[in-house]
Amino acid sequence: MIRGISLVRTANTGTRSQHGLHALAHVVLLLVSVAVAWPFIWMITSALKTRDEVFRFPPSLWPAVPQWGNFPEAWFAAPFTRYFFNSVYTASAILVLQIAVAALAAYSFSFIRFPGRNFLFIVVLSTLMIPVVVTFIPSYVILARLGWLDSYKALIIPSGANVFGIFLFRQGFRQLPRELLDAARIDGAGHLRLLLRIVLPLNKPYIITFSVFTFVGYYNAYFWPLLVTNSPEMRLLTVGLTSFFIEAGAYGIEWPLMMAANSLAIAPLFVLFVFAQRWYVQGVASIGLKG
Amino acid sequence: MTHLRRLRIVTRAGGVPSRWRLSANTKDILTGYLFLVPALTFLSVWWFWPMAYSLYLSFTEWDFLRPEKQWVGLENYTRILMDAEFRRVLGNTLYFSVGSVALSLTGGLLLAVLLNTKLRGSAIYRALIFSPWITPTVAAAIVWIWIYEPRVGVANYLLSSIGMRKLEWLGSRQWAMPSIILFTAWKGMGYSMVFFLAGLQSVPKELYEAAEMDGAGLWTRFWRVTLPLLSPMTFFLVVVSLIDALNAFDQIRVLTQGGPSGATRTIVYYLYQNGFEDFNVGYGSAVAIVLLLITLALTLLQFRMARRWVHYD
Repeated sequence: MIRGISLVRTANTGTRSQHGLHALAHVVLLLVSVAVAWPFIWMITSALKTRDEVFRFPPSLWPAVPQWGNFPEAWFAAPFTRYFFNSVYTASAILVLQIAVAALAAYSFSFIRFPGRNFLFIVVLSTLMIPVVVTFIPSYVILARLGWLDSYKALIIPSGANVFGIFLFRQGFRQLPRELLDAARIDGAGHLRLLLRIVLPLNKPYIITFSVFTFVGYYNAYFWPLLVTNSPEMRLLTVGLTSFFIEAGAYGIEWPLMMAANSLAIAPLFVLFVFAQRWYVQGVASIGLKG
Repeated sequence: MTHLRRLRIVTRAGGVPSRWRLSANTKDILTGYLFLVPALTFLSVWWFWPMAYSLYLSFTEWDFLRPEKQWVGLENYTRILMDAEFRRVLGNTLYFSVGSVALSLTGGLLLAVLLNTKLRGSAIYRALIFSPWITPTVAAAIVWIWIYEPRVGVANYLLSSIGMRKLEWLGSRQWAMPSIILFTAWKGMGYSMVFFLAGLQSVPKELYEAAEMDGAGLWTRFWRVTLPLLSPMTFFLVVVSLIDALNAFDQIRVLTQGGPSGATRTIVYYLYQNGFEDFNVGYGSAVAIVLLLITLALTLLQFRMARRWVHYD
């Protein structure tokens, strides 16, 4: 009873201060949002300006005459179509490979008992503590020996196993009711069929979250692709952007074209983000809560 | 085949442990190993072997080309210890890591607390603030070069419009690192915000109500309820972010290439320059091993500390 009264009272006095608080929160969040989004707004309006206009000081936000033609001009000023294809192809191939490898391993770690299972799991997990950069020099040497440098294989194969994916999938798999699997086993289903027909379909949220993060991660990757590719035909979009920036003399002169190319490279990710926002948020949250 | 086997179970049911059960067990075990073969193969070729090979290379001198690697023992490591440039690189790395992690985590936490007040339109704020995280670092960094442009860039426009002196930003030895830190925090703040938001939403409401009844103000509630409950997450995020920062390469490569005159050269960039620009494979590998040791030490230290002061409910 007393508790009830005091709750009502705090709720009443709470509203007034809460209004003020909400207003303050709105102001701060609005300012921060605009500030954070600003570079992208600036990128797009700069892309629409003429070469003279971008160098005017003080700068204007909106161009006198928007130069929409800058977008196609930038795109065809370098083999961006090829770069874009390479990025999408590489990221997709890595994604498929990683899901297959991680699903098999996670299934084995979750549902099959065999000697040395915990030991192997720890061995696999231990790679999470190794910075990937440490493997770059030797992996480069291996690729050179195999004659795989400057090929899709060099971009894809070294990323075949994602230990974080194995860990994440195992978390999901272990939440399935044991009886479900036992029942299917008694019906004579083999492990592979169980994985494909029951375990994976029931873990769609994990797979989608993983896919969004992995795909975007490899679409955005720069360091490794920079090391192992050198011909323009093999460049990923990220490497292509920087080489356009440096080589094509865009640096310092062609800012509108540079910003147009950047906008086009970023655009697919924003589209994906609009549709898959829920998965991003869930992904960050699940990494945090399970970590 | 399966049908036949099931038939045999039926016929032997109730008997002594049959040969079928035994072989099924062996088969299970084999399947268990078989399913691990792809993962272990990839990990062996592209993680375990490279690790061992890195260690070996760190005891040699090599340039990727000569057929023979020259064994030099600990020479690369003694060189690292004597190398004044390496000490500067470590200092830069510390500056960058602590600066960017502190900025993006503090910003992320404050924004998460604000967003958690159940505002209208909070989904839009959240999306906008998170958006830099999804973009390629390289593309975003090029935009920031344009923003930092010393003559007509918008950053200097901002400074001059509030009556401050223009800066050289990325071209200045003093300001290049803060510029990179600002960029990195801008890109990562939304991630920590969403991360903290998930944590805040798992804090039981009754705790706040109880604290409020005890007369705890906003400030006290934040320090006494929110922060202790968030500490396991915060801890995890600090470790992950620091390790991420330690390995930052893309923005440094695009924004400054380690310059001006080495002011933003961090350990990974030093590794890159030694290994892939100057072809000092041995020395570069030794730097890589040092990076590995720092990462391991950091991880272990953080885990140990975590056990001591992290709040578990």
